[in-house]
Amino acid sequence: MNAFELDKVSFTYPSGTQALTDVSFVVEEGSSVALLGSNGAGKSTLLDLLLGLHPNGSITLYGKNLAAYGRKEVGRLVALVPQSEQFNFSFTLLEYTLFGRSPYLRQMQSPTALDAQIAFDALLEVGLAGFEERSITSLSGGEHQLLLIARAIAQQSRILLLDEPTSALDPANRRRTLSLLKGLHSKGKTLLFSTHDVNFAAELATHVVMLKGGRILGAGPIEEVVNAQALTTLYETEMQVGTIGSQTIMY
Amino acid sequence: MTDSHGYEQQIKRRRGALATMVVATLLFAFISLFFGRYPKAGFTLPLDWQTNVMMRKIILNVRLPRIALALLAGSMLSASGYAFQMLFSNPLVEPGFLGVSQGSAFGAALMIVLGASSTLSVQLSATFFGLLALAASYFLARRFRFGGWLLRLVLSGIAVSAIFSSALAVVKLVAEPTKDLQDITFWMMGGLWNASWGQLFSILPVVLLSQVVIISQRWKLNLLSLGEKTSFSIGVNPKRDRTLLLVVATVGTTLVISITGLIGWVGLIPPHIARKLFGSESSFSLPASMIFGSFFLLFSDTLGRTLLPTEIPIGLLTSLFGAIAFIIILSLRNQEGKV
Repeated sequence: MNAFELDKVSFTYPSGTQALTDVSFVVEEGSSVALLGSNGAGKSTLLDLLLGLHPNGSITLYGKNLAAYGRKEVGRLVALVPQSEQFNFSFTLLEYTLFGRSPYLRQMQSPTALDAQIAFDALLEVGLAGFEERSITSLSGGEHQLLLIARAIAQQSRILLLDEPTSALDPANRRRTLSLLKGLHSKGKTLLFSTHDVNFAAELATHVVMLKGGRILGAGPIEEVVNAQALTTLYETEMQVGTIGSQTIMY
Repeated sequence: MTDSHGYEQQIKRRRGALATMVVATLLFAFISLFFGRYPKAGFTLPLDWQTNVMMRKIILNVRLPRIALALLAGSMLSASGYAFQMLFSNPLVEPGFLGVSQGSAFGAALMIVLGASSTLSVQLSATFFGLLALAASYFLARRFRFGGWLLRLVLSGIAVSAIFSSALAVVKLVAEPTKDLQDITFWMMGGLWNASWGQLFSILPVVLLSQVVIISQRWKLNLLSLGEKTSFSIGVNPKRDRTLLLVVATVGTTLVISITGLIGWVGLIPPHIARKLFGSESSFSLPASMIFGSFFLLFSDTLGRTLLPTEIPIGLLTSLFGAIAFIIILSLRNQEGKV
């Protein structure tokens, strides 16, 4: 069954800005999809729609209309890793990761020892074990990103939406995040991420959706869709595609 | 803490600490029954309880409702302050900050000048204008075209507070000086000296309900302090839940203010102390903040009615202690969750 199906999705903001027009594509279960496009192409709006932030009747999640799901129900299927999170309170890493367990908690219920164990495991998986008691306000940029992923892992969803996961990372942390996400994907998690880092997309994605001016420029398996001409049209600047060893490089 | 066993141990420890705080506060409340200015200023054990009718009346009908009101008002103001801080994701926010206090004071003053005789009409007016001020601050902030959301809220809160302060000043100008003006001045200073069982019971059900709602949503308060998209993605409906909790916290606060007048710092200092001891996660720091709030108000009131032959306005003492505590808290190393 497909994770997401979008059938001619259009979206206009209350201000009148048309952000998406007739966007149709399918996200297969277990795939890793990169959303590519320039600034203002509609990537963030699309992620918001997939999250259910703006109700839209043209999106289905596992065959059921997304708008028909309850909030917690969606939370158990789809987790979000935002581009960054502003921390105004000094939660500990464990507390913040535990927030990912919220879709499983009943009204007025607090996390159980089992939830705590899942959060400990998530922190271990991203490499932040041993820092559970540290304050989230003391993290470096790379650790911050890993923590956001840990919280999403604790959510135990089948789909992970990531908004520009490497935009603020140095090469070492970019590599760390990449290998973490590759690991999650290999375990069966469906990934859908927006990025400007086309090489990150080439390393992680199995599929690509290219957005330009709110419309689909191309969508499908990465080897079928991505080429120098398509990227040049997408970014309106000269782009090349080559290989180093077995790795595809875009520049 | 390295595993879920450590997590469980921490929860047990924190439960124990909360229970100890409740017992200590109730013990202090019991002892403060014997503080006052009758038969002499200071502490007096009522050894002649059986024969001294006056003493019995003072303890049961004057001090006991006053102490109960201090506990109720302290916990409500702290719970509201705490909730506002989480809902606006800003540890320096309290209901007064968004014009709620000034709005309520204006509402109460207006009713007094209009000659309202019942406590209920004053309370309703205070609640209505408190909510109106909150809504005005919120919608003004949405219309402002300067700065981020929190800055816009601060600015709109300042503007709305100033408008209600001016309106209150106008009401005071036209107030009848021998009676109404005195009543209104009481609002500005705050105090528990006219506490009675009747007044306490008039707000008790709604204030308790408001506290129960806030406590029951304490986990959600954590999530609402995160970004809008994040909280939405983990099962919260930020707009609906935030509005509900804001209205509940505001109603509870304005009802308390309608009886006690404006008492500053109770919505700010207890939440900060609670976070220092129990961490930022609300499961324990919210109830701890409410207990500290009760204690803070009771302690200030007991001191205010005992220290000098004439009563010291409670707002003056909470401001003094609050400011000192604020300076100490901000000077401490930024470490939370000691318990």
